[in-house]
Amino acid sequence: MEITGEFIAFFILSILAICGAVFMIFFTNVVHMGVSMAFTFLSIAGIYFLLNADFLAVIQIMVYTGAISILMLFGIMMTRHKETEEKLNRPIHYGLSIAGAGVLLVSLVLLSRGATFVSDAVDTKGYGIEKIGELFFGTYMIPFELASILLLVALIGSIIIAKKEGQE
Amino acid sequence: MDLFFYLGPIILMLLLLGFVTYAILFERKVIGWIQNRPGPNQVGPWGLFQTIADVAKLLLKEDIVPGKADRALFKLAPIIAFVPAFAILAVIPFTESWQFGDFAVGLLYYIAISSITIIGILTGAWASNNKYSLLGGMRSAAQMISYEIPLVLSVVGIVMTTGSLDLNDIVLAQKKVWFIVPQFLAFLIFLIASLAELNRTPFDLPEAESELVAGYHVEYTGFRFAFFMLAEYVYVFAMASLTTCLFLGGWLPLFGLTMIPGILWFLLKFSLVVFSLFWIRATMPRLRVDQLMQFAWKVLLPLSLLNIFLTAIFKEIPVLSSFY
Repeated sequence: MEITGEFIAFFILSILAICGAVFMIFFTNVVHMGVSMAFTFLSIAGIYFLLNADFLAVIQIMVYTGAISILMLFGIMMTRHKETEEKLNRPIHYGLSIAGAGVLLVSLVLLSRGATFVSDAVDTKGYGIEKIGELFFGTYMIPFELASILLLVALIGSIIIAKKEGQE
Repeated sequence: MDLFFYLGPIILMLLLLGFVTYAILFERKVIGWIQNRPGPNQVGPWGLFQTIADVAKLLLKEDIVPGKADRALFKLAPIIAFVPAFAILAVIPFTESWQFGDFAVGLLYYIAISSITIIGILTGAWASNNKYSLLGGMRSAAQMISYEIPLVLSVVGIVMTTGSLDLNDIVLAQKKVWFIVPQFLAFLIFLIASLAELNRTPFDLPEAESELVAGYHVEYTGFRFAFFMLAEYVYVFAMASLTTCLFLGGWLPLFGLTMIPGILWFLLKFSLVVFSLFWIRATMPRLRVDQLMQFAWKVLLPLSLLNIFLTAIFKEIPVLSSFY
């Protein structure tokens, strides 16, 4: 296998993403978990960049790293007083989750062996933001607008619930 | 070309350090001049070595990590805050040929990457284990998130006019008239929101000395404190460059004076923006914390939506549509 800059970048980014996810599970401090999760989100955005999906990568950073991680950290810092969690000792849970993860791994391996991948280099030039815009506001106009209305309803609903709790 | 690929960022870093050194001196001189006092004038002729002396002091200081701080995050936070500040410079087109990465989504890249700095500020504030720094970090995060929305929406008008998110295309679209003329409302919103993003007066609540001691970096000393300050001034550099590219026509000459090279035009406009940032700092009082959020959500956000609406209408009017 030829070692290119792309390969090295992919290697580093995937290690960062996996480490972030693993640390997220094994850290006991909630803020540490938040930061390692942000690293995972960022490395995944980097992998999107490598795949020439610039728009997706930028939106990934904007929404997940920029907004969601910060909101989570913010929420944790505002509300949690006890920062570290004790390690829970639940052998049945551990067993079940390891079995579940094993099944997921096996099925992923089987699926990816059976699937056919496009091995030739695909020209990604035509899939820029113009194309995305045309699809969103042309073909998928109604689902797109419905999704935005759903988000708006959720936003207003959460405000109303928060207001009710404040009045009591 | 290959040599430039490796050396370019290093040259840019050195230029940036030079800029930050003299921007701080310039800021203090300008504020001194506005407030009728000489400003720094003791170290070197005209105070030219003042910042160098300050930085040397910071680097020689004892490196203190507070006993009850979260050591790992405390050390990591300045890096998280600084790295994105430098990374966003990759998409700024300084001249036609002098740009590090030509993205089709350059503008979005800038906005997305710059929001990572907030994580650095928040973790630094929390890791210091100090209530003032935590309050400062919270204020900073809340402010930067709220003002990011009008900042992004104010440039949507420009994106609609150009039909591209590529900063090169945006600059080239200003050949006839700079966007500051047809998009004046957007320019005002952008300027105010960028001041808030930079945490500068009148929006420097995260660092309000009289309320919070010093804000999120209250426990930081020496080299790490210098890193936070460096990140702040690199953002001044980046934001001034972005304003130049978006509203003032980037490297394009004025009055067809093409014999002056593009980089000089860029520098002139850039310096003008930097000067006005310092000017605003010297003349404005600080906002109250309750006015701050109301202003972002109730004034700037509706205005930027109005701007998008107006741009869409003007695009359809025959006489005006040549400008939009």
